[in-house]
Amino acid sequence: MSSGPEGAGREADGSGGRADDDGVAAASASLAVEGLVAGYGEVIALDEVTVTAEAGVITAVLGANGAGKTTLLRAVSGLVRPRRGRVLLGGTDVAGRSPEQIVRAGIAHVPEGQGVIPELTVEENLRIGMMSWPARGIWGGRKPPPRGVGGDGSSREQGGSGGDRSPPRGVGGDGSPREQGGSGGDRSPPRGVWGDGSPREQGGSGGDRSPRGNRAARAAALDEEYARFKPLADRRRKLASTLSGGERQMLVIARALLARPRVLLLDEPSLGLAPRVMAQVMDLVVRLSREDGLTIVLVEQNARSALSIADHGVVLNLGRVVASAAAPTLAADVALRHHYLGF
Amino acid sequence: MPVVEFLQFTLSGISFGMIYAAIALSLVLIWRGTRVLNYAQGGMAMFTTFIAIEVIYHTHNYWAGFVVALAAGMVLGAACEITVIRPTLGRPPLNAVIVTIGLLILLEGLAGILFGGQYRSFPTAFSITGLKVSGTPLGVSRFDVFVVVAVLVTTLVLAVLFRYTAAGLRMRAAAFNATIARLSGIRVARVLTVGWALAGLLGALAGVLVSPSTFLYPNSMDAIFVYGFTAAVIGGLDSPAGAVVGGLLLGVALSYAGGYVGGSVGANLTPLIALGILVVVLMIRPDGLFAGARMRRV
Repeated sequence: MSSGPEGAGREADGSGGRADDDGVAAASASLAVEGLVAGYGEVIALDEVTVTAEAGVITAVLGANGAGKTTLLRAVSGLVRPRRGRVLLGGTDVAGRSPEQIVRAGIAHVPEGQGVIPELTVEENLRIGMMSWPARGIWGGRKPPPRGVGGDGSSREQGGSGGDRSPPRGVGGDGSPREQGGSGGDRSPPRGVWGDGSPREQGGSGGDRSPRGNRAARAAALDEEYARFKPLADRRRKLASTLSGGERQMLVIARALLARPRVLLLDEPSLGLAPRVMAQVMDLVVRLSREDGLTIVLVEQNARSALSIADHGVVLNLGRVVASAAAPTLAADVALRHHYLGF
Repeated sequence: MPVVEFLQFTLSGISFGMIYAAIALSLVLIWRGTRVLNYAQGGMAMFTTFIAIEVIYHTHNYWAGFVVALAAGMVLGAACEITVIRPTLGRPPLNAVIVTIGLLILLEGLAGILFGGQYRSFPTAFSITGLKVSGTPLGVSRFDVFVVVAVLVTTLVLAVLFRYTAAGLRMRAAAFNATIARLSGIRVARVLTVGWALAGLLGALAGVLVSPSTFLYPNSMDAIFVYGFTAAVIGGLDSPAGAVVGGLLLGVALSYAGGYVGGSVGANLTPLIALGILVVVLMIRPDGLFAGARMRRV
């Protein structure tokens, strides 16, 4: 299902290591919001907000209801058109682009409320995640989807070897599985498995230029997510409406990952989940950052648990940034916690 | 013979019902995608049927007109969506209602200017002589069979397209949840245009199929539109299967009413029956017979 030896040819034409000339932001997966102003009608929801999410780490965005957290994510992903300011994805300003373009640039937004499409099957929901990939078939000559985080970072251990794996590779495809590429254990994401260079079975797919290669790459990507989220694999033909809350959250995150983002925006992923499931989701978020090298912006109502996994924290109040510091520093600031974070 | 009569009314009802089903399906397609009730659907079908009649008169080839009508339906549907519908999206629903009614008036006026207001007879592809089985008339002709087959095939092709292709998945995703679709990279605006084009095709098909029985004039599709609309509401505006079943139920019911009552009373009774059915369905099942779990757009 995935790529194979011929991938070498593809490397020459620019997937893998060369993500640098992907146009957008290959050099870094950091996300910088500068002086962003956005709102709805007369209401200004974000007033000159400046936030930087460093590449490969978790940035928590905290604050009370109505502080502007969700609007911040919506403005970054293009659902709300910023009135002023810049949204820099690794140096390229994407502010003002449509959501359809922004997801192609490498920012995936998981909106609030376990947003599956209940009328579709689990697999159909997942396939939607790949709709940002270049069209198959007729337009086969186009580039493979912009590759993920690893793209920039090819530098990490294995930049050079990247040629032989990688379907439209993902996050971390080529470079990233940092420490644990080889572990391959149950918990480790399949990408880790890939990362260590074992091109899975079937070499034949030969790059994504041909329709067949494209289809194989899609199938491989799906398998990858099924390996990562086993409960989804068992229910792939079931309607998404039959999933539990935790499974729905898995599904929406898997769908977002299938877009091969460099930056993942998560809006209240723990909302409405049982504590144990919530812990699993938080654990997953950590792994996406540590193992896959994704840049994660995590919006949470539950400041305590968000700060416990985040590297950096930003506190919004009434549309303005009132604090921005390392997560432990914020968690230790008693006054701030009382005023804005409610714990 | 009551049995034969019953059979005749039923078969003829199915034939008309398929035409209502085609209109109903086109309304459902648009409703699911854009949450707009397209009151101009009948007018669009009338206009493309006029185009077909001109093509047939000039080429003396029914199929040339048939194909041109379907193509024109797609173009007209897409053009309407891009030019007048898109600006109404995200505005109060009444805006779109008024725009589509305005579009209907515009199309009927244009048709009067371009093609004239007189009744014109529309040719059929096949004989309209009633079929007989061992001497017993069935009440339907070869052309009626063609009507049923044409709508059925078109419906099945659309169903397969929606169910099994990436383009179909994009359309369903955009219809169910436009926000998620856009965040996933689906160009929803383009998808909606395609939806309107397909609806235009279905409407054009209905226009070509029904016009031999109604004559063609600028208002000729008004009644058919009302029946198609009724069928769509009976089935539930969100359900393609419901639209087809609703169309068939309505076609058969109206056929019985017209057939058993007979004469001019029967003919004038049918619109009333349609409205009666509409009222009853709306009272008992406001979301239509096929309303499943509530579908909501986020």
